[in-house]
Amino acid sequence: MNDQTYPSRSGWIAGIIVTVILFVLPVFLGNLGKTGEYWIWVSTEMIIMALFAMSLNLILGFGGMVSFGHAAFFGVGAYTVALLMKKADFPLYLALPAAPMVAAVTAAFIGWFCVRLSGLYFSILTLAFGQLLFMIVFQWYTFTGGDDGLHGVPRPEILGPINYYWLCLIIFMVCFLVIRMIVNSSFGLTIKTIRENLDRAKFVGINVRRYQLLNFVIAGAFAGLSGGMLCELNRFAQTEFLHWSKSAEPILASLVGGMYSLAGPAIGSSVLIFLKIFLQQVHRSMVEIWAIFLGVLLLIVVLFAPQGLVGLYQNIFHKSRS
Amino acid sequence: MSDPILSIQNLSKSFEGNQVFNDISFSVERGELSAIIGPNGAGKTTLFNLITGALVPDQGKVIFEGQDIVGMEPFDIVRLGMARAFQRTNIFPKMTVLENIVITIITRLNTNLRFVRHWNSSKEIKKRAFEILESVGLADKASHQSGTLAHGNQKRLDIGVALALEPKLLLLDEPVAGMSPEERWETVDLVKDLWNQMKITMVYIEHDMDIVFGISQIVRVLCYKTLLAEGPPDEISANHQVIEAYLGEEV
Repeated sequence: MNDQTYPSRSGWIAGIIVTVILFVLPVFLGNLGKTGEYWIWVSTEMIIMALFAMSLNLILGFGGMVSFGHAAFFGVGAYTVALLMKKADFPLYLALPAAPMVAAVTAAFIGWFCVRLSGLYFSILTLAFGQLLFMIVFQWYTFTGGDDGLHGVPRPEILGPINYYWLCLIIFMVCFLVIRMIVNSSFGLTIKTIRENLDRAKFVGINVRRYQLLNFVIAGAFAGLSGGMLCELNRFAQTEFLHWSKSAEPILASLVGGMYSLAGPAIGSSVLIFLKIFLQQVHRSMVEIWAIFLGVLLLIVVLFAPQGLVGLYQNIFHKSRS
Repeated sequence: MSDPILSIQNLSKSFEGNQVFNDISFSVERGELSAIIGPNGAGKTTLFNLITGALVPDQGKVIFEGQDIVGMEPFDIVRLGMARAFQRTNIFPKMTVLENIVITIITRLNTNLRFVRHWNSSKEIKKRAFEILESVGLADKASHQSGTLAHGNQKRLDIGVALALEPKLLLLDEPVAGMSPEERWETVDLVKDLWNQMKITMVYIEHDMDIVFGISQIVRVLCYKTLLAEGPPDEISANHQVIEAYLGEEV
């Protein structure tokens, strides 16, 4: 089995331990004063971006489609929450579920065109649509606030930093299990089959475009949800959320973590964010050369661990199995 | 008496001005085991591509089960009951042998849109998958990654994938290409057994004349952009035109 989506017994135990640690973490950090609060915020962002990376990997790793425009759905989710809460006075419990829905509709529209193409042409078209959306949001001052973004998104009083962390963690856990279920389902096998051999898939009777579109929409919905969560964390939505550089983040995360595994992209995303913040803490000037660190890291991964961190881990600890 | 499952009518196809087929017509009777032969470049695989919807003819009709299928998508044609195995092995290499068969059964049953249960959870599908693997002799390799199988086994899996579609018409493009002599006859026996048991109409492309004249009921010869001859093996091997154009002095 190429795709590591079947956790062994030790995988389950590791998963439970990690979950418990993640749940207890903010209590521990909460006792560390200002620094602790900052790290709770960072951890929340890591959880949210992990979900974003996993959403992309539905199409990237499992579907074999390289999208350069995934931030479009992330951004749409963020702006949905910001607009609904700021301009229509929606409560968070209605605005947040709306984010994946609006993102899914957007993904259905963009995807309808994109899945007609494959390979590089697909990638370029996703990039074009992503940047188109970015430009619309950038220019439409009266509605989106243009390059100022939308600030001051309200936060329900009960959602302090720790509670919001827990909320995000619970949403992440549920999404993780749902994505895992999708990947292992008949639909998931269909998607992997298309990735493996698109032409042959047609000759076993698979309507390739239909399932690619559906997968694109599902991935867009999860991206929209993560965008909405980040918007509420930062209490603002800004055009940067839709920019192509935001689309690159989950691609890099999947590369570093391992795109043929379920948890790989989430791990990769968290590692990258942690490294960046850590360097920033060591010395402010380090942020300026973050790109160099990232470049070297990617070089090492591509050359020595093409299956990412998860693949590396499996090579070291499960050599006997392969 | 005539009950054609497939009928090719006045088919023509050109690529950038080079004509491959000029107005060819023939019918395949239900239950027939027939071969298509012809020199390299005669367009045998192109003919399969035209029949299965991978290519669209410039002119003519392809009638399958009474329906003109020209212009239909390949996956829709598959659903009508036409399956195909490929000349160059064409499987899902990083999936297991079992997964290759299971996804095909899932697609035939049109249950691709199930999101909740594991694909592996249906006992009936698994049972059927193992029956098919049994029939192509790969049951003991079900959990192997299919890309790691020996070439001959990959070709058998390709045939197994086509069989999992439970087709009425099966098109085999050089089913024994690249096999060792023993493997060749094993596979030929397999194909013949399957034809006997499953009552599928089979059309295959082959270069090996021993096989072609050994097992076919009907042989069709493609040459010079047209169907040069069509008939039982003994008739074809005695046909002067065929001998001159293609078979040479070997026969």
